[in-house]
Amino acid sequence: MMTDVVAQAKARSAARSNSFWYKAKNGLLVFIKYFSLIFVAFWMIVPLVSCFVTAAKTTKEYQSTSVMTMPSNWFNFANYVQAFKASNMAIAFRNSLTVLVVVLVITTLIGTMLAYVLSRFTFPGNAVIRGLFTVAALLPGIAMQVPMYKMMVQMHAVNTMWGYILMMCGTDVISIYVFIQYFENISTSLDEAAIMDGASYWTIYSRILLPLLKPAIVTCMILKGVGVYNEYYASNLYLQKESLKTVAIALYSFTGPMGSQYNLICAGVVITLLPMLILFLIFQKQIYNGVAAGAVKE
Amino acid sequence: MASSTAGTAVTEIPDNIQPKDWRKTGIIVAFSAIPLALLVFFTYLPFFNMVGYSFYKMKYIGTPKWVGLQNYIEVFTRPDTLSSLKLSLYYMAGALIQVAIALYLSTMLAFKVRGGGFFKAVYFFPYLINGIAVGFIFKFFYTRGYVFDTVLQWCGFQLDSLPYWLKDQRINNWSLVGASIWRYLGQNVILFIGAIMSVDKTLYEAAEIDGANKWQQFKHIILPGIQTILVLNIILSITGSLSAFEGPYVITTGANGTATYFVLMDQLAHGSQKVGLASAMAVVLLMIILICAVLQQMFFKYVFRDADDGVAKAKKKAAKIEKQRRKMALKNAPIVRNGSRNNKEKAVA
Amino acid sequence: MKALKKIVTAATAAVCAISMAACGSSNGSDGATDLTYDKIELGTTGKDIKTTINLFTQRTDMLQDSYNGTTWKQYLKEFNKLYPGITVKVEGGTNYGDAALTRLQGGDWGDMMMIPTVDASELQNYFLPYGTVDTLKDQVHYVYGQQYDGKVYGISSTGNAVGIVYNKKVFKDAGITENPKTPEEFINDLKLIKEKTDAIPLYTNYAAGWTMGAWDAYIGGTATGDPKYMSQELLHTQDPFSDPGDGTHAYNVYKILYDAVADGLIEDDFSTTDWEGSKSQMNSGKIATMVLGSWAVSQIKSVGANADDIAYMPFPITVDGKQYTSSTGDYAYGINKDSSKENQEASMIFVKWMTEKSNFSTNEGGLPVAKSLDGELPDVYSEFKDVTFVEDEPAVEGEEDLFNDLNSDSELNINAAGDARVQSIVENAANKTKSYDDLVKEWNEKWNAALKTENVDVKYTTVVK
Repeated sequence: MMTDVVAQAKARSAARSNSFWYKAKNGLLVFIKYFSLIFVAFWMIVPLVSCFVTAAKTTKEYQSTSVMTMPSNWFNFANYVQAFKASNMAIAFRNSLTVLVVVLVITTLIGTMLAYVLSRFTFPGNAVIRGLFTVAALLPGIAMQVPMYKMMVQMHAVNTMWGYILMMCGTDVISIYVFIQYFENISTSLDEAAIMDGASYWTIYSRILLPLLKPAIVTCMILKGVGVYNEYYASNLYLQKESLKTVAIALYSFTGPMGSQYNLICAGVVITLLPMLILFLIFQKQIYNGVAAGAVKE
Repeated sequence: MASSTAGTAVTEIPDNIQPKDWRKTGIIVAFSAIPLALLVFFTYLPFFNMVGYSFYKMKYIGTPKWVGLQNYIEVFTRPDTLSSLKLSLYYMAGALIQVAIALYLSTMLAFKVRGGGFFKAVYFFPYLINGIAVGFIFKFFYTRGYVFDTVLQWCGFQLDSLPYWLKDQRINNWSLVGASIWRYLGQNVILFIGAIMSVDKTLYEAAEIDGANKWQQFKHIILPGIQTILVLNIILSITGSLSAFEGPYVITTGANGTATYFVLMDQLAHGSQKVGLASAMAVVLLMIILICAVLQQMFFKYVFRDADDGVAKAKKKAAKIEKQRRKMALKNAPIVRNGSRNNKEKAVA
Repeated sequence: MKALKKIVTAATAAVCAISMAACGSSNGSDGATDLTYDKIELGTTGKDIKTTINLFTQRTDMLQDSYNGTTWKQYLKEFNKLYPGITVKVEGGTNYGDAALTRLQGGDWGDMMMIPTVDASELQNYFLPYGTVDTLKDQVHYVYGQQYDGKVYGISSTGNAVGIVYNKKVFKDAGITENPKTPEEFINDLKLIKEKTDAIPLYTNYAAGWTMGAWDAYIGGTATGDPKYMSQELLHTQDPFSDPGDGTHAYNVYKILYDAVADGLIEDDFSTTDWEGSKSQMNSGKIATMVLGSWAVSQIKSVGANADDIAYMPFPITVDGKQYTSSTGDYAYGINKDSSKENQEASMIFVKWMTEKSNFSTNEGGLPVAKSLDGELPDVYSEFKDVTFVEDEPAVEGEEDLFNDLNSDSELNINAAGDARVQSIVENAANKTKSYDDLVKEWNEKWNAALKTENVDVKYTTVVK
């Protein structure tokens, strides 16, 4: 009987879709659909394309042609080379990598540990700790910059790598949420069985739960990684030595009285976003998942 | 404050003392000490410091002078703080437009579309670009006769009829909002696609069979299915607009009437070194944000107090079944490091 | 209120205690040097010092081999001929003013830096004195810039007198044969340029920010002819921005900018100006004038083929029939008081060498700092023959920090990155939102309020009776 209804409905809709008007309307809808998709995509791409175009132009070419005129030679890498050297990108990439690795390792470790404790044990203070983190997530980091700055000065942590790294670890709140969420989706019966077998809490955490948490860790690392790589406000404030600069602020060397031209700046911009582009193409799916998981608490 | 929190966790052991309790206490203390210390040190300590500073007239260097509530009075009486708060309206409007566009795009992209992956990627990538680069890109984009103007000229506009995107105070805030939409649209799209995909597929099939058109499907299936995330996003965009900072900071440095509240705060703190006043400004805005958060919680409790639009109920039930299934699966799973692949995937699905 | 104060004080104290416990304070106190600047005999003193010293500077451009002048590398090579044992490492900072302040407070900034804006009373907490004002004032210019309690903490790297950079060819094409001497003449010239040439009469460089703050440099000696104005009188002046009625003072300086914008004599889209591009535009005659320090001349000359077209003219304000220009010290070298004795001595030797032997000032088109080098004016100032150079006198004892305090209280930030204030002149003139007199009133109110906050007794006013 069920199949009957379905068959009838299908027949009905098939009949409908044969009519001329339906076809015309459908065609129009499809057109509108692709038109809007392409329209938005166009405007998303234009600002980026303009960068690539300008970065490939010589100074003379840049000054004499319209900004959206295609460069005479797409493979003019002179600007890239000069921008890379002028802003000390090699050092900046090394610094960014250092910060990235250390911060990701530390935040993943302490984040999962805390999430483990919070989601697996009921103890007085559990709710308080959760509450503290919830409120912390609400405070926009930028608002706290003034006292943070004074504190960093008192700690003699300004212009030190460790100070900046510590701060980046300390202001990590979001990933704890993601971890707690995942932990609560893992059945406690696993733990119980392990305890019966005489496993210690540490073993349960490190041998059983951590491996199960791998997707959550990847998610958080991506979220945090993007944030750390792109962070510029604090690094601009706290990492002012040439030897400590990260990629995001290396770009700043193109401004100021001794500034530079747009073709160099554009080359610099392209250099900084290239690693992201490559990572994005490789880890597209994981990045989408990460964003979907983390955004709710942002 | 913090130490007392940690202290309660350590000392107050539940009544029914079992042999494993010392181990439990140990693991709780060991695992939560560092993150808690960091949280307190980098969030709460500065916060309370800031509240303290807000009662002083002080610079970064030098001795502070007690001024009582003077800074707070100034926050509420300065003409520029209030006008900077008004700028948030632009960002709120922008956020709503962004949500609308994202919703439109994601309802298309959630289903089969030619080149769907490509579109998704193109929309999303700007989210991954760092703020300073975005600043450069858009300064370049909006410069008279540069990228934006050139492209509009391709479309038949005359340069003379185009406004000055960053110079004209009537539209420069909209230009900045545009840059912000460019940057965050993709993130919303991805979010909404995820939410729409999580709506039960059979609902669409049923609707199709019932002869519901696309709009009806959107209204009766998609919208109710994603309303939680939608409302949450809209509310977040309100608090987000109050603390709008990055766009004006990197593109116009807050000049020409684009200084939002936090840009102004940053200027006062680092330009004029009015640490006390800047702190008071931050405290005031944090209070507003906290109030918004509380209202949001109440709103959610009210709206979803008896959410029985069918979809939610079905979803709940499905989740329950899924949970039970997982439990079963996990029970049967071997408790070793490399348990079967299958289980691991289920556990996180 | 008292209870509130108590609570806050207690809480702050507790919080501070926690944060202090977390960080050890490092106070290196291994005897500072007692060497002073005047006792150094270059080539003799400290000949056997072997050390490495670090310099933090705003001149990032001089670090690059492509720099069209003498690079740091070349200076250091010269220096090492005389002092092979002292290695100097130079580090540049973009956005220097902020960067330097941050590093200063962070403590770890090497042995020498160009002193950023700090209160005079704070200088002794960071820097080593070069000697007393009394002994040094006969040897170097601008000793009052960085002095406190009779001691000098900074030696300027070079001196600047201020005027207007302009393109001679554009002026000629517009039929202008004589330099303008008053604001009216200048505005008229700009109008002529707009009428008769394709050049932008006055380029503001609004978007860069610091280029706008540069306007503050003209309100002191240049606009008043008074060496006491900036450091002493202004601090006791009510309504300092009002029109004195004789075409002088701050009012008429900023009015030039307001009028130029209101009359459409500036670039089309000021919100997206590009400093680097403007230099080559000026060189090629697309820009007629820019209001910047003399340091900009050599940069603008060097970016194109028309170096000979670029020149520097006195600022168009005449006080009682005479034109003035204030000559001020550029960023000054400060030496870390916590560095080792050896490094301090090496640093002081380096500073003296830079000042007296390196030709730095001449190379950069500035005024010499060492008095021994006084004499002919540098080429840049060839059009300043009839202009009196005014060097600011020091603040009165006890008022060394008053200007900084007034600046901070009023948020006007005069000569201290007050970019936003000068930018607002352009914005309001372009959008016709506020008249110039409204702006002046607003600044006056802020300034007067600050005078009140600091309990200053008012002795002067700019308002015409």
